[in-house]
Amino acid sequence: MKLKRYLVASAVLAIGASAAYADGANIFVVGGKPDDPFWSIVKKGAEDAGLVVEAQGGSVTWLGPQNYDNLGVDAAELIRQAIDQGADAVVGPNWVPEAMNPAFDAVVAAGIPLVIYNAGGIEAADQLGAMNYVGSNDYKGGVAGGEYLGNAGNLNGVCINTLPGAANIEAFCNGFVEGMTNVGGQGSVLPLPATSFGSATAVAQAVRAHLLQNPDINAVFTIGNVDANSAVSGVAQAGRTGQVQVCGINFDESILNNIEQGTQACAIDQQGYHQGYLAVSILNGYVNYGLTVPTREILTGPGIIDGSNVGATLAGVKAGTR
Amino acid sequence: MNIGFGVFMRRPEAGAIVSLFAVIAFYMIFGGVSLPVLFGAASWVNFAANLGIVALPVGLLMISGDLDISIGAMIPAGSMTTAILSGYYELPILVGMAGALGIGVIVGLINGILTVRTSVPSLIITLGTLVAMQGIILSASVLLTGNASVPLAAPDWAKATFGQLIGGSHQIIIVWWVGFAVVLAFVVHGMRYGNWIFAMGGDRESARNAGIPVNRMTILLFVLTATSASFVGMCQAILFNSAQVSGGMNFIFNAIVTVVVGGVLLTGGFGSVIGIFFGTLTFAIVSQGIYFTQIDRNWSNLIIGVMLLLAVAMNESFRKLALSYVPRRRLSP
Amino acid sequence: MDIDMPTDDSKISTRGHALGRLVRRPEAGSLLGMLIVFTFFAILGGPIFMAAPGFSSWLNTAAEIGIIALPVGLLMIAGELDISVGSVIPASSLTVAIISGHFDQPEIIGILAGLGVGLLVGFLNGYLVTRTTIPSLIVTIGTMFGIMGLTLGLTVLIVGSTGVFIVPDPVTKALLGTFVGGMFQVTMFWWAAFIVAVFYLLHISPWGNWIYALGGDRESARNAGIPTARLTIGLFMLSGFAAAFVGVAQVLTYQSAQVASGQAFIFNSIMCVVIGGVLLTGGSGSVIGIVIGTVTFAIVNQGIFFSGLDPNIGSIIIGALLLVAVMSNDAFRQMALAFAARKK
Repeated sequence: MKLKRYLVASAVLAIGASAAYADGANIFVVGGKPDDPFWSIVKKGAEDAGLVVEAQGGSVTWLGPQNYDNLGVDAAELIRQAIDQGADAVVGPNWVPEAMNPAFDAVVAAGIPLVIYNAGGIEAADQLGAMNYVGSNDYKGGVAGGEYLGNAGNLNGVCINTLPGAANIEAFCNGFVEGMTNVGGQGSVLPLPATSFGSATAVAQAVRAHLLQNPDINAVFTIGNVDANSAVSGVAQAGRTGQVQVCGINFDESILNNIEQGTQACAIDQQGYHQGYLAVSILNGYVNYGLTVPTREILTGPGIIDGSNVGATLAGVKAGTR
Repeated sequence: MNIGFGVFMRRPEAGAIVSLFAVIAFYMIFGGVSLPVLFGAASWVNFAANLGIVALPVGLLMISGDLDISIGAMIPAGSMTTAILSGYYELPILVGMAGALGIGVIVGLINGILTVRTSVPSLIITLGTLVAMQGIILSASVLLTGNASVPLAAPDWAKATFGQLIGGSHQIIIVWWVGFAVVLAFVVHGMRYGNWIFAMGGDRESARNAGIPVNRMTILLFVLTATSASFVGMCQAILFNSAQVSGGMNFIFNAIVTVVVGGVLLTGGFGSVIGIFFGTLTFAIVSQGIYFTQIDRNWSNLIIGVMLLLAVAMNESFRKLALSYVPRRRLSP
Repeated sequence: MDIDMPTDDSKISTRGHALGRLVRRPEAGSLLGMLIVFTFFAILGGPIFMAAPGFSSWLNTAAEIGIIALPVGLLMIAGELDISVGSVIPASSLTVAIISGHFDQPEIIGILAGLGVGLLVGFLNGYLVTRTTIPSLIVTIGTMFGIMGLTLGLTVLIVGSTGVFIVPDPVTKALLGTFVGGMFQVTMFWWAAFIVAVFYLLHISPWGNWIYALGGDRESARNAGIPTARLTIGLFMLSGFAAAFVGVAQVLTYQSAQVASGQAFIFNSIMCVVIGGVLLTGGSGSVIGIVIGTVTFAIVNQGIFFSGLDPNIGSIIIGALLLVAVMSNDAFRQMALAFAARKK
């Protein structure tokens, strides 16, 4: 009996006390999955900007899918959920336009200010009626990587796609191939079968086998920092360190160490921290005080980290912001 | 009144319904979720509907004693087939839909025939078809369209039936799900097919000896699971205007756990359609409810894991309670 | 009454059917499968596949999956499944990386802690499986989610990111994380050691019979006096330990640990075990079979890259291979049973 009364009481309290949202800006950020190394940096940026948001009486809520199995669908659902939960402002990436545009349209139709970040470009922001676009350009990131490696003399490159089916990854690899072709080389894409995902050994072995079977390849482009490490290992195991250059999107401490030591040539930086931080800050200023940033398209990348600027980057990586 | 309660507890769905309330209570008490917001939101209902349409036949299959994990690849198969046929090749949407359902039927037939013709367990057969289908979808999509993501613009009537949002937020697949559940509940619990399925799960040989067409029912159930998965994929492609090739491992785990939370015994022979229905609702809330709280998303999997174990444990103790329940009504001499 | 006096007839018949006896062994089918697959990829892959690079490629892969496949196979023989291995690998990797990398403690402490995590998860699994009637598939799915969540939450809490890095000291690196001759991952030798240990466990020690009995019929085994609960818990702890070991080897080899890794091992290890002739229903299987199954899987998994075929085809081949392997195992078994009957 006592237990029952206690339960009822707490239930009533919970219903009653469940916060009507605060007076400031309640900003909802749609992003990647929680254990994605790149997206945890973006999340940190959003949360750091959130400190200001909360100081002004608002909140920042991160909505990310559990996995990337059904990217466009899950993200579209999360965007709608933000609307349902009474968002004052929404930040979202346009990973799969066909699936997510209707959801973004609903956000704008409900009068909620919207910022597109990470994917889609200023074209998406314009088309959807969003306030701005903050981010890099996946395709251009791939192109930059391809051109960098090609210009360094590595004219036959392969892009290792460990997540075949994800639209943004496809854009990276296609961009890489174009970058290589732009500087007179050639590029190809190596998709890995579903049974290899998440296994550093499988990726390293695959890279190594591919290099052994195709001895003219002298550049490897990866789509994530874990893969970059595996690729460096694969190159070493194939006995071709120094002949084959590795570059990839995103980076972490061990990649920067590799760049310093010369086992990796470069990393493409899209400054995920800034994507989260700036997008949230812009919206907070707008919702609370009507401030705007007239510059359309705030580019956070692509930037190239190589031996020349790796030192400065290392400090940020240790802080979890790069 | 005691008798009424006892009868309720003995039903397989009892555990699932109690779990549902417990899960909602947990999120309310510890997560600060407000009930009106939860019930007004569509996200978890959409999630439940997409999961539920597949969970229902998977559950029936489990009651009959088999497992189908190839559903993880059948959803992208369905959406990809629809998108490639009607989006990339611009054939009429009916062709795309027929293609999606057709693939479901074919894979279901393969699963079913292999299961009955060989003594290989269905878990292994469907594991094989799962991996094979993942490869087929990927190669087909890259070979045919050069891309791993295919857009689709479905005509209005197709969108209205399979892919619209009621009130701008609730996917129409919810209607399909509820309808499917009602039909299945009637077939399983009101017609003899249900008895057949339970008998097969209890003891396949005895069922066969009793004259039940065990092989045909097994193949039928496999076709049903694969086709319902590709149906879900088809609806998603129509609603979201695109299809993507990606792994489906998580969906498999979600479906199995949903069915078990719904009171179905992994070893077969016990369960109910209503139980699976409530199990789906419970799992949807467990999985999506965290988005309504301020709990850091990093802990979401931990919450899911713990809640699932608790829900299943509760089911088990309810079942044991139910099986050992003796009505206090005394037999009159 | 003299009961063990063999007649001359039986002696002759067993000698004459030595080949038949060989074929009747459960591993025969999987061995044949492995040879066929190897020949197929040798033809396609040419001289590179047949040389050291090719060998080391699939041996490296086989070693990692193999270490996990062995106890997973034992569990399957005993009639249980373990899905949580997929999350124990990153959990132990991160434990090592956080303790020895982030907090700069000596590697041995980090390694022991990582292995301890595996043992703990295994104990939890075994305890839940034996104390409740929840099937092991469901229990381990639940622990998988739980460990995934704990790993992510704790890592971000402690380190502030989802990846941790470690530069191991030379001794540890040489023992666990180096490449012999630049190509052969040292994990291979640990796998060999595991094989010997597990072979002893299953085929020589008395526990082996107990494991088979457990898979045959749990109740009868318990009634026969076998400590089923302790044995089950022990087996789960063994698989947790093996997964943790692979996690430790990975982090020391690649010098970084990520939260999101290990998922592929779940179904891959089950496939290796099944291709190797272990029955899902329990009660039958052998260590040699599991090893052959692992090698077969690794050859396909890696051979595809040497063959010039589209790697997407790789998945299709693996799926088809699984079906063919299992069906041929099945056919062999039927044949073997029928053959034995025919001897009368």
